[in-house]
Amino acid sequence: MKRNKTMALVLAGVMAASALAGCGSKGVTAETSKAGTSGKTEESSAAGEKTVDLEVWYTNTGFLEVKKDGPLYNFYKDMFGVGIVSPYVEWNGGTTYQEQLNLKIAAGEAPDMFMPVNGMEADLVKNGALLDLTDLLPEKAPHLWETVPKEVWDVIRSYDPSGQGRIYMIPSVFDYPLMSAIIRQDWLDKLNLSMPETQEDFLNVLRAFKTQDPNGNGLADEIPTGGRQEARWMDYLFAMYGISMWEGFPQWDIYNGELTYSAVTPNMKDALLFIRDLYKEGLIDPETLLNDKAGWEGKINSDKVGIYYHWAQATYEYATSLESATGVRAEWAVMPPISAPGYEGFYTEKKIKGIQWVLKNTDDQEKIDAAMKVLDAYGNKDLWQKFFLGVEGEHSKMVDGKLMKLPEDKKTMENLVLQPGKDISTIDSITQLLESVKTDETAWSIDQSIANVQKMPNYGKLIAGDGMPNSVYEGYADIMNRTLYVEYASKIITGEYPIEKFDEFVQKWNASGGEAVTKAAREWYEKTQK
Amino acid sequence: MTESIKDKAFQGAITFILCILGIIALIPLLTVIARSFSSKAAADMNIINLWPVGFTLASWKYILSDPGLWKAFFISLSTTIIGTVLALAVTSLMAYPLSKSNFKLGQILMLYVIMTMIFKAPVVPYFLTVKGMGLFNNPLVLILPHILSAYNLAIMRTFFKQFPAEVEEAAMIDGCGYFQMLYKIVIPSSKAVLTTVGLFYAVTMWNQFQHPIMFIQKTGLFPLQLKIRQLINGGSDFANIAAVANVNYTESTLSAATVVFAIIPIIAIYPWLQKYFAKGAMLGSVKG
Repeated sequence: MKRNKTMALVLAGVMAASALAGCGSKGVTAETSKAGTSGKTEESSAAGEKTVDLEVWYTNTGFLEVKKDGPLYNFYKDMFGVGIVSPYVEWNGGTTYQEQLNLKIAAGEAPDMFMPVNGMEADLVKNGALLDLTDLLPEKAPHLWETVPKEVWDVIRSYDPSGQGRIYMIPSVFDYPLMSAIIRQDWLDKLNLSMPETQEDFLNVLRAFKTQDPNGNGLADEIPTGGRQEARWMDYLFAMYGISMWEGFPQWDIYNGELTYSAVTPNMKDALLFIRDLYKEGLIDPETLLNDKAGWEGKINSDKVGIYYHWAQATYEYATSLESATGVRAEWAVMPPISAPGYEGFYTEKKIKGIQWVLKNTDDQEKIDAAMKVLDAYGNKDLWQKFFLGVEGEHSKMVDGKLMKLPEDKKTMENLVLQPGKDISTIDSITQLLESVKTDETAWSIDQSIANVQKMPNYGKLIAGDGMPNSVYEGYADIMNRTLYVEYASKIITGEYPIEKFDEFVQKWNASGGEAVTKAAREWYEKTQK
Repeated sequence: MTESIKDKAFQGAITFILCILGIIALIPLLTVIARSFSSKAAADMNIINLWPVGFTLASWKYILSDPGLWKAFFISLSTTIIGTVLALAVTSLMAYPLSKSNFKLGQILMLYVIMTMIFKAPVVPYFLTVKGMGLFNNPLVLILPHILSAYNLAIMRTFFKQFPAEVEEAAMIDGCGYFQMLYKIVIPSSKAVLTTVGLFYAVTMWNQFQHPIMFIQKTGLFPLQLKIRQLINGGSDFANIAAVANVNYTESTLSAATVVFAIIPIIAIYPWLQKYFAKGAMLGSVKG
C-alpha cells in the first residue's frame, strides 16, 4: 500500500518533469504572431549588410520584451538599419532595475545602451565604463546634436568628473515648463468667478469652492485644494513665494545673488506660514499630509477637488477618469502663477529631466556606428511620430485613413523603448502626440490638455539648479532625502510647531551637512557658467 | 476534565484576542479581494473598503485570458512539486546519517551546514557562481538552490534522532541494511516531519522571488510571482501620453486580481494538509 503511494508520487514527479522539459522548449506563444509586421524583413539583411544588434535596457512597467526578429525589432530595423533587443527587466520603481544592471555590469555583460538610474552614471563614468560621445555626436548623430539645446549639452559637460567637459550621457529634455496648478474652470464659471490673479482673489476662490457647493450635490464635501504626503504635489502654493520646487522637492535657485536651497530661504518661511493658515481655515485637504497617490487622485476623480498640481498635458487623464466615475465633464484649466505680496511667483522649469541614455564603452567600431545610427534617428524630429505610434496592428491602428495609437495593453504590446517624442519633448511634439490619441469620444478632454500645454511657456522660469547632479550630496544622504525639511514643514503646516521653529530648522540643516552641500553645489554651478 | 472559572476565563480571553488578531490579519486580504472585483470608477475614486464597489468580473477575465499567466502558473506549480519531492529526498538522505550518534564525521558536517546558515554569500559572487554553473535563464535555477535548507535539515535530523532505537535494532537483527531501514521503516513512520518540512520547502519554492529575479530574464520562463510583479506597478508620476481605453479595469484592480490568483493555490492546499500533521505517529510502533 505504502509502496503504491510513493510510486504514484514519483511517477507524478516524472510526469511533471517531462512536461516541464517540453514546456521550456515551446518558446513564445501567440504574442509575436499577432502583430502585423511592416513588410520587408529579410530583404534588408540580404543587401549584404549584416544587421548589428544592440541590447537596450529601459523602464518596463509590464510590457512584453523586445525579442530578436519580433515585430518591434523589425520595425526599428526598417527605420534605421539596426536591430534593437530589449529584455524584460523588473522595474520596481528603479531599485530592482538598478540591481539587475549592476549585476550585469559586474559580470562584464553590460547592455550596449541603457538608461541609468539613481545617479549610477556618475560612478560608471569614473570607472571608464561609458563611451565618450563628445566627438561622435556632432559627426555621426547630427540630428540629436542639434535637437538638444546647447545649454543642456553644457550641463552634461559639467558632469564629467575629470573636468575636461567630455560628454558621456544623453539627457532627456523638456523644452517647456511641465507642471502647474490645475483648476476647475467649470466651477469658476458656475460661481461667476474669474481666474484668480492675486492672492486675495485666490483665497476668495478657495472659500467659494468650499462653501458654495460648486459640484452641485447639496453636500459640503468640496476640497478646495490639497496635496500628498511629505507636503508634495502642492508646489504652486510654495511657488507664490518664488520658491523653486519640483514635485514637492525643494530645488536650488538664485536667492540673494547666490545659488541656495529653496527650503532654507526666508521665502520658505513665509510660504509655510501661508500654507499653515490655509490648513487652519480648512481650505486645504485636512488629510493632505496623509494622502498617498491613490488617495489624493481618488478625491480628484470623485468631483471633490477644486485645484490640484500636476502635469499640464495630462489633464485629460484626470478628466476622463472623473467622467467615467461620476458622469461629470470637468473642465480643467491651467491656473497662471500667482505672486504673493512682495514676491514673484512662477512655475519651476527644468530643461533637463534626467539622463536618458548612456552607452557601454567599447572598441567595437561596428557597434559604435550602429549606436550612432540609433541616436541620430532618435534625434530626428521627422521620425518622432513614427516612434510614438509603434508597430501598426500592435501599438497603433488605422482609423479612417489616419494612424491612431491604441490604448495600452500589457498582454500584447512590446515595450516601446525608443520614444524621443516624450524624452525630448517640445510643445509641438507633445501636441502631435496628443492629437494622435484623440478620438471623437475623447476630443473634449484632449483639447483641454492641448490648450493647457500650449499656455505653459508663458509661466515658467528656468531655475539655476537645472541639471544639478546628485554627486553634490555625496556623503550627506539625509540632505538629499530632505528628511529634516519634511519633518519641519509638516509640523509647521499642521500647527504642531510654531513658525519660529523654522529658524531652528535652517540651523540644523546647515549643521548636519547643508553647508557642505551648498558649497559643492555652488562649485558645480561655477563650472556650468564657464 | 473539570476546569475552574479562572481557566475558562483565561481561555476565553485568549480566544478573543486571537480572534481579533485574525480579523486584523484578514482585513487587507478582504480589501484586495474586494478591489479585484470592483469597477474602474470605484478604483479611480478610491472608495473600495471591504466589499466590492461596482461588482464586475472584467479584471478577472483580463488576467485569466492571458496565456502567459497560465504558463507562469504551470511553471511555478511544476517546479514546486518536483522541487519538494527532490528536496525531501535529498534532505532525508542527509539528515538520517547525521542523526546517528556513532557517525563521527556527522559532527563536522553538521557544523559546516550551520555555518552556511549563519554566513550568507554576498550577492555578486553568488550571482557569478550560479551563473557559472550554467543556471542562468535555466528553469532548474528555480529548484536546485533550494533543495537543501539548513533549517529544514536540522528539523529532520532532530526528528530522526528521536526515532526509537529499539525499532531500528529490531530491524537490524532481521538483516536490514541502512538504506532499507531508511526507506522501509523510518520514512513511512515520519509522515509528520515529512509533511512539515515538505510544506516549508513547497511554500519557499512557490513564493521564491530573489532567485528568479536574478537569474531568469526570458519572460517565457517566469514563475508566477514574477509574472505577478509584471502586472503590479505602483503607478509612477510620469504622465504618459496614452490613448484612453474603454475598459472596466485599471492597474490597481488588475494587480489585485493577480495577487488573489497567486494566493488561491496555497490557501486551497493548507487545510487539506492539516490532517497529515498526525500527532503520535510514533505511538504503538514499539511492541512489548
